[in-house]
Amino acid sequence: MEAVTSPFRSDAHLRPGSPLHNEVVEWMHLEAELLDDGHEREWLQTLVSRDVVYQVLLRQTRRRADGPGFVEGGFHLDERYGSLSSRITRNGSAWAWTEDPPPRTRRFVANIRAWDRGGDLAVRSNLLVYRTRGDQTQPHLLSGERHDGLRREHGSLRLHRRIVLLDLSVLGVPNLAYLL
Amino acid sequence: MLDELERLLPAGRVPAAVFGDEDLYRRELRAVFARCWVFVAHESEIPVPGSFVRRKIGEDGFIVVRNDSGGISVLFDACRHRGVQVCRADAGRTKHFRCPYHGWIYDTRGRLLGAPEWTTALEGMCREDNGLLPAAQIATRHGLVFATLDAAAPSLDAYLGDMSWYLDLVFGLNEHGVEVLAPPQRFVIDANWKSAAENFCGDDYHLGTLHRSVWDVGAFPVSFQDDMTGYHIQAAPGHSLSLSMAVDGAGAGPEFYGLPGAVTATFGPERVTPTQLAIARRSRVFVGNVFPNFSVLAQPATEDAGSHPATGVLAFRTWQPLGPARMEVWSWFCAYRNMTEDEKRRSYRAALGTVSVGGCFDMDDAEPWIATSHTGRSVAAGVLGLELNYQMGMPGTGRARRADDWPGPGIAVTPRYEEGVQRNFFAFYSQMMRS
Repeated sequence: MEAVTSPFRSDAHLRPGSPLHNEVVEWMHLEAELLDDGHEREWLQTLVSRDVVYQVLLRQTRRRADGPGFVEGGFHLDERYGSLSSRITRNGSAWAWTEDPPPRTRRFVANIRAWDRGGDLAVRSNLLVYRTRGDQTQPHLLSGERHDGLRREHGSLRLHRRIVLLDLSVLGVPNLAYLL
Repeated sequence: MLDELERLLPAGRVPAAVFGDEDLYRRELRAVFARCWVFVAHESEIPVPGSFVRRKIGEDGFIVVRNDSGGISVLFDACRHRGVQVCRADAGRTKHFRCPYHGWIYDTRGRLLGAPEWTTALEGMCREDNGLLPAAQIATRHGLVFATLDAAAPSLDAYLGDMSWYLDLVFGLNEHGVEVLAPPQRFVIDANWKSAAENFCGDDYHLGTLHRSVWDVGAFPVSFQDDMTGYHIQAAPGHSLSLSMAVDGAGAGPEFYGLPGAVTATFGPERVTPTQLAIARRSRVFVGNVFPNFSVLAQPATEDAGSHPATGVLAFRTWQPLGPARMEVWSWFCAYRNMTEDEKRRSYRAALGTVSVGGCFDMDDAEPWIATSHTGRSVAAGVLGLELNYQMGMPGTGRARRADDWPGPGIAVTPRYEEGVQRNFFAFYSQMMRS
């Protein structure tokens, strides 16, 4: 896993309120809206780079001296543009039982911090995804952090790198049928 | 209820309550999980002295550790003083385990080394009588480490019986064997563990409905109809498997579950018999379950048909009981050690996109299993007398027939439209629960 730094330690961190920071926040909110509203294909086509690397890391409980527990080379998801497209096609299948009746999901994106790495914007954000299906009253909740790389392609920002770091080692959800 | 199961099973029926009854579950923890051989780790996860993983037998935590003499210890994770957990990480490397409560300290074989202020506190106490308690028996096959809490259980070889012959077809095809590609994915499904275990005994019929979406994206290179040719095998009491293969030998590949040609070229009759090699070669899919809860899957798959043709995926998993309507899935992926790094990466990526927690196959599995557990807990099932139907392939139901020319051990039936493999699971379950 690439070394994570805090934007607050960098001179290149984008101040909230600056035009570039605003653009990043808008991008993040648009992404969440598209995914919550079920427009996954549009998300992929308009916000994601063709050479995207999209990973959700595996995590163990480790002693403090052994680090936060993310496993080098271990994943829940390890996706590229083609596999994301395939995933979205499957979700639209008449035989995708997880998607019909559809779940209700809501993504809360917060603590958006960004810094400019010259041609690439590094962004860290917190994510909480709330999901229910059927008459479930207790939601499936997933909390985590995204480490993203956004890049300008033909004028607009696209996701070319996402690493999702979840705040648990055992997933309390029966599947990862939805994008984080 | 066990009487009902014993009475109904020969007629191909199972009371729905086996998937949700609380008392039955409590009894399973003792009669099944504390007596059968259960999978705890693969040797490649604990390669060097001091390396350990924390695993479950039933609901209980055990330390699986490579000890200082290179052997493997499976130790109940409970300090002898007050039963406090001494291993609090999922994995790591250590020379000893120290209890956080009063500091009793144990080595990697579970021997009590000491405690703070030993002389004043505990001088005279026999250390040998106060070590971490080991599982009663441990044994390994193809690097798969199994343990049992029952000192009177038969050996692992005797317990597996002819299932060993079939496990060779996945794990024993060359001298290199397999290694695990990453620690297990762990996730929770609100369903009874037996729904999953019986599914992996050889429920292929559900592919055409529950997993039909995988064909929409080309994730699996064999059509449903073709895939249903093959054999259901009751390898030994409780242990079942299912092989997809073209029965008339007309090469409807892929061979060896779609594993790359460079590695299948190293599979040979030095390790397995010519019959075993021939069967593994003809097999497109191997899905099986070692009673109670160790399942194996080998199949060709791709997460992105547009970019990558299907390749062989090797997976095994356990369904750990958390309650009558709750299980934790532990899901490992492995590869033959002599595959290239690129081949291992490809296999792992294909697996993640198809047969993992985020995979196009697995996603839908949770749906019916959760629903079955609701029914299993329902009052209506008891009051209305819901007996679940396990009759597919029994005389008078469908066209499956015994394959008398099957060259392997156990009872083989073809085609795969039958449920004898699940009835085999429940017959052994019934026996274990009653004895």
